[in-house]
Amino acid sequence: MPELKLGFIGNPNCGKTTLFNAYTGAKLKVANWPGVTVEKKEGNFTYHKHEFALVDLPGIYSLTSYTMEEKVSREYIMSDDVDVIVDVADASALERNLYLTLQLIELGKPVILALNMMDIVEERGMEIDLHRLPEMLGIPVIPVSARKKTGLEVLMHAALHHKDKTTLDPLIHEHTNQSNHIHNHHEEYAMVYSDEIEDKIDLVIERLKESYSKLNNYRWHAIKLLEQDETVKEQLAKAELSDIISRSYEEQIINEKYDFIEEIIEECLVNKKKQAAFTDRIDTVLTHRYFGVPIFLVIMALVFFLTFTVGDWLKGYFEAGIELVEQGLKALLMQIHAGELLTSLIVDGIVAGVGGILTFLPNIFILFLALAFLEDSGYMSRVAYVMDSIMGRVGLSGRAFIPMLLGFGCTVPAIMASRALENKKDRYKTILITPFMSCSARLPIYVIFSSMFFEKHAMLVAYSLYIIGIAVALFTAVVLHWTEKKKEANMLLIELPEYKTPNARSIAIYVWTKVKDYITKAGTTIFIASIIVWALLNFGPHGLVSDMSDSFASIAGRVLVPVFTPIGLGYWQIIVALISGIAAKEIVVSSTSVLFGISNINSAEGMSSMVAALGAMGFGSVNAYAFMVFCLLYVPCAASLATIRKETESTRFMLGAMLFQLLVAWVAAFLVFQVGGMIF
Amino acid sequence: MTLTEGIINHTYRVTRTKEPLETERRLEALGLIRGTRITIINKKRKGAVIVNMRGSRFALGYAIAKGISIAPLAEQEVEEHA
Repeated sequence: MPELKLGFIGNPNCGKTTLFNAYTGAKLKVANWPGVTVEKKEGNFTYHKHEFALVDLPGIYSLTSYTMEEKVSREYIMSDDVDVIVDVADASALERNLYLTLQLIELGKPVILALNMMDIVEERGMEIDLHRLPEMLGIPVIPVSARKKTGLEVLMHAALHHKDKTTLDPLIHEHTNQSNHIHNHHEEYAMVYSDEIEDKIDLVIERLKESYSKLNNYRWHAIKLLEQDETVKEQLAKAELSDIISRSYEEQIINEKYDFIEEIIEECLVNKKKQAAFTDRIDTVLTHRYFGVPIFLVIMALVFFLTFTVGDWLKGYFEAGIELVEQGLKALLMQIHAGELLTSLIVDGIVAGVGGILTFLPNIFILFLALAFLEDSGYMSRVAYVMDSIMGRVGLSGRAFIPMLLGFGCTVPAIMASRALENKKDRYKTILITPFMSCSARLPIYVIFSSMFFEKHAMLVAYSLYIIGIAVALFTAVVLHWTEKKKEANMLLIELPEYKTPNARSIAIYVWTKVKDYITKAGTTIFIASIIVWALLNFGPHGLVSDMSDSFASIAGRVLVPVFTPIGLGYWQIIVALISGIAAKEIVVSSTSVLFGISNINSAEGMSSMVAALGAMGFGSVNAYAFMVFCLLYVPCAASLATIRKETESTRFMLGAMLFQLLVAWVAAFLVFQVGGMIF
Repeated sequence: MTLTEGIINHTYRVTRTKEPLETERRLEALGLIRGTRITIINKKRKGAVIVNMRGSRFALGYAIAKGISIAPLAEQEVEEHA
C-alpha cells in the first residue's frame, strides 16, 4: 500500500503528464495542445523508502467544471482519496494558473504548488520571486522542470512534509486598504475577500454550524453557497439561508480572486513584459486570414507525401528481411519433415499475413513521426482556429477538427479526444464522423491496391482517398446540421500554447508507442486472424479441401456476392477480406495475401501475381478504386467500435453508426463503380 | 464596440460580457471578466479572434467574441502598457 497519494492537477497543457512520466517512468502521451490527457492515470514512485501513488488528471481551468474530462478531475480532487494536492502550474503563464491555485487552497487540503516550465521563464528573461510567492499563498512553492527533470526530489520532499498540514504556512500580507472586518482573516487565509463577502461568509458559517455539526471546511462550503453552486446547495439543503444569500455572489468572488492574483503578479513577477514575440511572429503566418487554410492543406499533403515516399524507400529493407525469414522457415520445415498442412499454415497463413503487414511498418513510422511533430510543436490548437470558419458551416466548432485530425493516426484515441468538446451534441457528431478520417491501418490497403492498379498515379490515388474521407465526414456533419431544429452557435474556445521545438523524448515516446502497438497487433490480432482465414480457406464442410472454392470461406462469401456485385466487389475472396477487416483494417491486406496465397504482397513480385490473379477474375482498376473507397468508409475496426460504445455509453448508437457507415460505404462504392465503369 | 470590431495589435479593456451562462463561466475561469485587459492578435472576417489576456493566447469563436464588449484603454493606461 502506498503511504501517500498525490493528485496532479493544473491547467491544461501545463505539463502534468510530463511530470507524471518523469516520476513514474510511464510513457503516457504528451503533446503541446490543451486536452491531450482525457483520463485519470495512476503510477508509483518511491522516495527515500516512502511509497507514493501519483495520479495524473486531465487539465482544468477551474473547479467549476463543464466538459467530461474536467468533471473527472474535479470529482477526484474533491474526493477523500487524495492526501496531497500537487498543483502543477505553467510558470510562464502564472497569472492564469493561479486562479485554480486559489480555488485549491480554499479546499483546505494540503496543497503544494509545483512551478513547472521554469526553464522557459528563465529563457525569456523573466523572474519569479520564490521568496515572496509562498508568503502570499501560504503553501510551499517548488520550482521544477518536468522536461529537464529538475526539482523532482524537492517536490516529493515537500509533499511528504506537508501531508498532514491542513492550515496554511505563515502568511504575510501587505494590503494597503485596511479591513474593518471583525476577524482578521489575513492570518488564516491566503484569499481574503472584501468585507461584504467576508461578513456573509461568517453569517453562513454560523448558520451551517447550527444545521451541520460535522462539516469539514465550513468556509469552503460557505463560499460555494454564496456562489450558488448547485451541487453544494443540494448537499446542504437543510440550512435556511435565503435571508443571507439573496443573489449569486459568484462574479464578485471571481473578480476579487483575480484582484488578488494581480496583486501577486505585481509583487512576484519580474520583467513580466517579456512576451514570447517568437510565437506571435509565427502566428502571423500560420493563422493568416487567407493563407491559414492553404498552409494547413500543404502541411497535411507534405505529411502524406513523406509517409508514402520515405516509407517506400525504407520498405525495401523490410521486404528483404521477411524473404530471408520465409526461406529460412521453409528450409527448417523441410529439415524437420513437417507435414504439408503445417508448412502451409506457417508459410501461407502466418508469414503471408503477419509478414505482409510488417512491411508497412516504415510507412506507419513516418506517419506517426509527422503527426507527433505537429502535435508537439503547438500547431494543433492553431488548426482549430484556422478550420473554425469551415467547421462552423457544418455546424461544429473548430475544436472538433482536432479529433478528426488525430483520426489520420488512429481512430481510437481520436474518438476519445472528443471528450474535450463542451457540447454533447457536437461530441456525438464528431464521434460519428471521425472514423471517416482515413486511419493509418487503412494505409496498407491504399499502398497495395493503388500501386497494383494505378502505377504512376498511385500516390495521387491514395491522396484522393484521404480527400474523399474528409469530404464524406464534412458532408455528414452538414446534413446533420441541416436536419437540426435548434441550431446552437459555435463556441470555439481554445488556448493557443506557445510554439516550441518538438521535444525528442516526447516524440520518441509517442512514435515508439504507436510502432509497438502496430507490431503487437501484427503478433496478436493479425496473427490469429491469419490463422482463422487460412483455416476457413483450407477446410470445408467435408474436412480438408483441395479446391478453395469448396471451403467455408468461399461458401460464406458467396452468400453475399449479390449484395456486392453492384459495387464491383462481387467476389467471394474480396468479401471474405472485407469481413475479416472488421477485426482490424490491416487484416484486409493480410487476408488478401492469404486468400491468394501470396507470400510477400508488398513486393513487386507479390503485386504482379496478385494483379494477375485478380485480373483473371475480371477485377480491374475501377473495381480496385471502388474497393479502396469501400475500405475507407465501411465499419471501422472492432477496437474503434468498442471505443464508440464506451464513449457514448450506448450500444444503439454504436450499431446505428455501424449501419450508417456500411450504407455510406456501399453508396459511395456504387457511385464509383457505376460512374467509373461508364468512363473507363 | 465588441471584440469582433477591435483592431489587430491593439489593447482594450473588457467592459461587459453577455454570453450564455455556461460560456460566461468558462470565460470567468480564464480570467476574462469586466476590466480585463485584452490584446487582439489576429482575427478573421466574421470569424474567430485570437487574443492575448493575462499572458496567454486564446482563440475565441465569432459567437463568443460578439458577446464581449470592449473599450479602448484610457490614455494613462496606454502609457503604462507601452
